Amino acid sequence: MERRTLLQVIASVGGAGAFATETAEAQTPLPAAPAAYQRKVFDDHQWRTVHVLCDLILPADEHSESASAAGVPEFIDDWLDFRKEQDGTDRLETEILGGLSWLDRESNHQFQKPFADASPAEQKQILDRIAWPGRAAAEDRRGVTFFSRFRDLTVGGFYSSKMGIADLPYLGNKAVMDWKGCDPEVWAVIESRLKNGYKGLGGEVKADG
Amino acid sequence: MQIQPTPKTYDVVIVGSGAGGGVAAHVLALAGAKICMLEAGGWYDPSKQSAMFQWPYNAPHRGASTREKPFGYFDATLVGGWQVPGEPYTSAPGSDFRWWRARMLGGRTNHYGRISLRMGPYDFKPYSRDGKGFDWPITYEDLAPYYDKAEELIGVFGTAEGLENTPDGKFQPAPAPRGYERLIKRACDKLSIPCIPSRLAILTKPLNGRPACHYCAQCGRGCAVNANFNSPGVHIFPAMKTGNLDVRTGAMAREIVVGSDGLARGVSYIDKKTGRDETVYGKVVVLAASCCESARILLNSKSNLFPNGLANSSGLVGRYLMDTVGSSVSGYLPILEDLPAQNEDGVGGMHLYMPWWLYQQQKAGKMPFARGYHIEIGGGRDMPGASVFGGSERLLGGGYGLEFKRNLRKVFGCNIHFSGRGEMIPNDQSYCELDPNAVDQFGIPVLRFHFKWSDDEILQAKHMQETFQEIVTAAGGHVTLHSSAERNWGIAPGGQIIHEVGAARMGDNPKTSVLNQWCQAWDCKNLFLTDGAPFVSNADKNPTLTITALGWRTSEYIADQMKKRNLAG
Repeated sequence: MERRTLLQVIASVGGAGAFATETAEAQTPLPAAPAAYQRKVFDDHQWRTVHVLCDLILPADEHSESASAAGVPEFIDDWLDFRKEQDGTDRLETEILGGLSWLDRESNHQFQKPFADASPAEQKQILDRIAWPGRAAAEDRRGVTFFSRFRDLTVGGFYSSKMGIADLPYLGNKAVMDWKGCDPEVWAVIESRLKNGYKGLGGEVKADG
Repeated sequence: MQIQPTPKTYDVVIVGSGAGGGVAAHVLALAGAKICMLEAGGWYDPSKQSAMFQWPYNAPHRGASTREKPFGYFDATLVGGWQVPGEPYTSAPGSDFRWWRARMLGGRTNHYGRISLRMGPYDFKPYSRDGKGFDWPITYEDLAPYYDKAEELIGVFGTAEGLENTPDGKFQPAPAPRGYERLIKRACDKLSIPCIPSRLAILTKPLNGRPACHYCAQCGRGCAVNANFNSPGVHIFPAMKTGNLDVRTGAMAREIVVGSDGLARGVSYIDKKTGRDETVYGKVVVLAASCCESARILLNSKSNLFPNGLANSSGLVGRYLMDTVGSSVSGYLPILEDLPAQNEDGVGGMHLYMPWWLYQQQKAGKMPFARGYHIEIGGGRDMPGASVFGGSERLLGGGYGLEFKRNLRKVFGCNIHFSGRGEMIPNDQSYCELDPNAVDQFGIPVLRFHFKWSDDEILQAKHMQETFQEIVTAAGGHVTLHSSAERNWGIAPGGQIIHEVGAARMGDNPKTSVLNQWCQAWDCKNLFLTDGAPFVSNADKNPTLTITALGWRTSEYIADQMKKRNLAG
């Protein structure tokens, strides 16, 4: 796909064919896909909890599969290790591992089993306390901080994966021979919203004066 | 130091291969001079080494920025950043300055934003206008023909607007704006802020065998077809085709070698492959190692004749170092939610921008700071990476599950970003000097930086914050990220905007400047500088186009003076 697109660009360029064979070989070496991911941070129990939690945050729907199917647990495990190396501190890793323990403690306390073994309804009961920072109880503050961080990692990992990018309305990263600016049909939608007002996710957006 | 005799003497030795070294090599090679170019980094050819069309999931950690690659894994800068292994620098107590270096052929032209703004008539005479800083020894009219030549070679798109102190150029057609950019323009129209097509060194029409842009938005990764300006593809490789240009990579310049007559004889450098000291000889030396590196080389070129470093009888080498004032705001535009899918990539950068617009208010004494800034914009449906939503909680207030996932799809591309890029006035407390103790891995004394913003810059950052928030609101959005007084209005640390200029300024008096109006050292007539070091001020117009135009003018002067034999002893 990448190579074909690139060759299309080059084919369209008179006189530039000389480097067609070399161009697709980016000098920046791409790592070979690992056969099986080697965990760096999570132990077996944490690993199971991470899978459950990722898929509660981004479950499969009619557009794409779940976060774990897109390799988000692997992304998070790798990311924690990467940040530790880059930042020279295990602050993020500690926050995430501590948060997973917090989930287990809450689950054990309420349901007498660790979070990963609780029923989906029980799991959601805990998440509902920490997933909306604006309405969480003060005593759940630590769970809220953890969950916001974990959710961002899940979202970042999913939507930068092949599956996640395909899920979004992103049509770029390809050669366009004739740039025309904003699609007139899209602009017509914007104009109609400007004229008539728009009921956004966060409430009503007023029409243009 | 013992100097190994080398048989060959070049007409010109150029140190550095970025915008300044590149243009000097191009102009002088085409004029017939035999040139040796030294580049401290390695070879780079974007037509073979660009990472365009790659996806983040094919890169380690989704292409995230690292110490080694601050602009991410796919950035064209193969070796470079604010820290370069083995090449330290220091900051004086109380100063925070970050020195970006790109160790590769083409230097910073490989990854830069390609923003190509001419300085205007006011910008060459800022002292005359408001009594701050210094005037240049040249006028806009002196440089205008070279802006023409530079734009016609590198290729710049834009539109003729006729705005105050914002000269139009020899432009290729500008690309049509993206949807969110049109909304930002509507908001700016309401606020009487001009919002016009940007001016970027990216081709929209073929030029000299280079094709037009294919709108993949990834100029920063290097362009495999040279549709954007970069020094290797546009300056250096065509210059090499003349047979007049030799390029030595891995050549870390140590000092300029001076003869007993006080003229430059060549450049001594470390060959990084062998670790050995080498010297290349030339009749003329052009320093274009980047503003601070050129100052460092001059300060390190000490001899009996020049005990304070070469070209430094004024004591001004390293002085009046400037960067650009930068401050940013992000916002969220609900009206962009859940729009039909479309490709918003476009060129690698903004299609619209806002030039500084309050010249008359400033002249009337109605503004709390001197000098201005332009506004750079971003946003929309960029290629998703690991920070795609920039904090989903801020956008949606929280959540998880099916509805959360559905909403993320709707808010993709609703963020917009504003960055101010403003003029810093040179001051006595911002300079670089040799650190008395530290050396790099080659034993070369390193730079120590001193850096201070004045109230003019801090108040400018405040004005940026207020203006950008007004624009977000006027566009029907809400502000998601901003800075306030306790963080100095978000002003970026010195060096972070990577527009450092000054440090060897030109002038019309050898006592108060390092170089004359031809960027020729007052103290050494066969030594010239063509990077950002000669800048007398740092207008809000990003430096690369002016480096290119000024370097072109200097190079034509060198060719003319060589022909007249005025540069020899």
